[in-house]
Amino acid sequence: MEDIAARIVKKALHLGCQDAVADLVENRSYQIRFAQNEPVISNRWRETYASVFLVHDKRVVATDVKDLSDADAAVERLVKIAKASQRNPEHVGIARGPFKYARVRPDPKVLALEDGRTFVEAAIGGALEMGAKECAGSFWRYEDEHSLVTSSGVEGHDHRASLYLSIRAMTSLESSGHGIACATRMSQFEPEKAGRKAGRIAALAKDPKPGKAGKYTIVFDPLIFGSLTDNAVGRLSAYAVLAGLSPYGKKIGKRVASEAVTIVDDGSGDSISRKRFDSEGVPTRRNVVIQKGILKTYLHNTSTAKRFKTRTTGNAGLIAPEPHAVFVKPGDWKKDEIFSEVKDGLWLTNTWYTRYQSYVNGNLSTIPRDGIFHIRKGEVMEAWKDVRLTDNLIRLLRNVVALSDTTEQMMWWGEVSIPNHVPYALIKDVGITRSAE
Amino acid sequence: MEAEQDLVDFAVDYARQRGATYAEARFERQEQENFILKNGVLDALYVGQDRGLGVKVLAGGSLGFAATNTLTKPGVREIVDDAVHLAKASRRKTPIAFAQEEAITTNWSVPEGKKLADVPVEEKIAEIREVDKQLMALGLKVPARYFQLADNRIIKYFGNSEGSRIRSYSPRLRIYYYLTVVREGDSEQTHRDYGWSGGWEGVRAWDLTNRVLEEARSMDKSLREGKKSPEGKMDLVVGPQVSGIAAHESCGHPTEADRVLGREASQAGKSFISPDGLGMKVGSELVNVCDDPTIEHAIAYYLTDDEGVRARRRYLYKEGRVNEFLQNRETAAYFRTRSNGAARAVNYNVEAIVRMANTFVEPKDQSLEELLEGVKFGVYMKSFMEWNIDDKRYNAKYAGREAYLVENGQLKHPVRNTVIELTTPTFWSAVDAVGKDFEFEAGFCGKSDPGQALDASLGGPSMRLRNVYLR
Repeated sequence: MEDIAARIVKKALHLGCQDAVADLVENRSYQIRFAQNEPVISNRWRETYASVFLVHDKRVVATDVKDLSDADAAVERLVKIAKASQRNPEHVGIARGPFKYARVRPDPKVLALEDGRTFVEAAIGGALEMGAKECAGSFWRYEDEHSLVTSSGVEGHDHRASLYLSIRAMTSLESSGHGIACATRMSQFEPEKAGRKAGRIAALAKDPKPGKAGKYTIVFDPLIFGSLTDNAVGRLSAYAVLAGLSPYGKKIGKRVASEAVTIVDDGSGDSISRKRFDSEGVPTRRNVVIQKGILKTYLHNTSTAKRFKTRTTGNAGLIAPEPHAVFVKPGDWKKDEIFSEVKDGLWLTNTWYTRYQSYVNGNLSTIPRDGIFHIRKGEVMEAWKDVRLTDNLIRLLRNVVALSDTTEQMMWWGEVSIPNHVPYALIKDVGITRSAE
Repeated sequence: MEAEQDLVDFAVDYARQRGATYAEARFERQEQENFILKNGVLDALYVGQDRGLGVKVLAGGSLGFAATNTLTKPGVREIVDDAVHLAKASRRKTPIAFAQEEAITTNWSVPEGKKLADVPVEEKIAEIREVDKQLMALGLKVPARYFQLADNRIIKYFGNSEGSRIRSYSPRLRIYYYLTVVREGDSEQTHRDYGWSGGWEGVRAWDLTNRVLEEARSMDKSLREGKKSPEGKMDLVVGPQVSGIAAHESCGHPTEADRVLGREASQAGKSFISPDGLGMKVGSELVNVCDDPTIEHAIAYYLTDDEGVRARRRYLYKEGRVNEFLQNRETAAYFRTRSNGAARAVNYNVEAIVRMANTFVEPKDQSLEELLEGVKFGVYMKSFMEWNIDDKRYNAKYAGREAYLVENGQLKHPVRNTVIELTTPTFWSAVDAVGKDFEFEAGFCGKSDPGQALDASLGGPSMRLRNVYLR
């Protein structure tokens, strides 16, 4: 199968392309979705396709070839369309290989896993034990294999596999908690722990009272802090900056977060999206994007790097640079110390539906869900409901007061779109609003 | 296509042989062309030729689904084996059942004036370049301009073990754009999204250039003349874009039966409407909200859903009360009713679940001028930018993009960042007049895991709300 990627590149060059990238992808993922404490459907995928990127006389085209028996004809069609397209003067080529890649292999136990029911049962069991009545979520065994060939001397192979479980536990419609388990090795996978966390929050969130608007000091659980860091790093793609879809334009070297905040994007680190190379074949690496609150770099592919007079950060996607996995440097606070620091504030455990009034200034709102707690002197006073976090992305990160000394890997349904390794965070002066009567 | 139809038939028959009590197979081919024109530069042209087959089975009271793009008998046999094995291994305590539906054999297609496949890519690019050129000719400062034009030609062949065989063709066209207008260090952003089921004539129907220019001018006017929006209780007139998003978010989503039953609880969430909530009062008697897949040229047009059930109009809220849930065959069985044809999937490789199609507030008889005439002091919010709603679909926020102060029925200066933050019943109960104007916009509706961002239309007339809190 690997030969197909080489054949596509060869064909493209034969037809006059200057740059060609073919990534042959084999997706063998498996999933169980569950709700009301039972599986609702199990899914399996057997898909093999080639993601192709071609440049013909500065005309950039891309496709996914699903019919691999027809790959030559697909490339011919694509080149024909490229010729009718228009030049992109901002494309300056792709990374020149060959490269050496880190030796990483997936856990054979993860690859051999055929049945995930015990993990689902462990998660649900953990939640019910803590007092939950109803659980829903997904278990995934992700597996995909990539064979990448480019016209610039790159040949790479990457077999990726990981385990993921997301569980929402409920005691009623308005009392719920969420837990996440992520692992690249079977021995590190802890679905029961995720279930117990979800169940514990759900039980604690019983009989929530309508929340009150105001400015609060807030403890962000890792899942909701991961949403903030996911938003931040997503907006650090050079593409988002150039498209006017980022509040980080012209802020390199400037303060964009408090001194407590150091954020790294690292596709080579141990996460469930670990990868050996980006879409141009550049080895993934550790990129410090925010260091002690100062913005150090955007995320680049070869073309955007040239535009910003720097080097690629190894974050190429098929078209635009994108983050791989976020690692927030832990702080030196114990989790309990963070809670104790709050005299009168909130503890938020999850959020969803983050939307911006303007990407340029970063004004946003997002809706906390699952456990929302009013805390005094570190103790939970009561559960709240029906509030909205209304603030600004940069201001939120500038107001980070403390981070806990350990991190957890979070990823969840769009809101935390890639793995974010995040601690508990304490943020001051956070705006909270609620629906008017 | 004949070979693919044979594979669908084979998948269904083989699944029954393997012990499935019900089986369905769906072949899809999606031919896509889309490009981004960013700040006048054609970033990249994406040309997709996607196709594959998915099979869903009911075995032992549980569901299994598997998909492949290896369109051979061995390839299909493998996924049928997967789906049956997965279903049987699930061992649910409460068996899943499907509501009874008639078997359908049909072949439908969306009329396509000028075929999308016949329009050269250079013509498509030139169309959007011209819009960008006219925009720049306004002489405004528009430092970030992002246009994405996408067309998709979707061919499906569906078969199930009850004898349904359905072939369909849906050409779709969509433009999404983002603009940032700047003046004296201040900025306004907008995004708009228009869709069309049909051929290239949709571009003319959009009247895109005029709409984009009008939008940019209004943004500049907001920057030049905009003042702080008044805060407090007052009357509000909303435009079709705001009616549409409210219809989608606080009527369409909470009436999705799978959400009501908790199947989406971990992702898209649940609903403030309980399973026995039909008849519950949520708005004034003027409020009728429909979802209708059969509206010609609306981007989510279809005549049969992805479970082979005929599509029809659904009155979700009628005279201010919850009237009907959106159902697929699985949820309909739970509610002891019939599916109303709401099962949709974004592609062959995911299961069809309960989805909205074209959701809208039903128009009535008042002109915009008549709606405004009744306002002594308030705000006309023509369009919005930021929005969100909680996962039980009860607390929504819409932040104004283009909005004006209204005094004694007259539009005054623009007001900026007007915020509506209300519960679903508060919003819909405040409606005291509904306009006769009507517009649809397109949206991507997100749901399920893996996520399915699906074409949807959101629309309605202008509406007047009395005495609501704005800030």
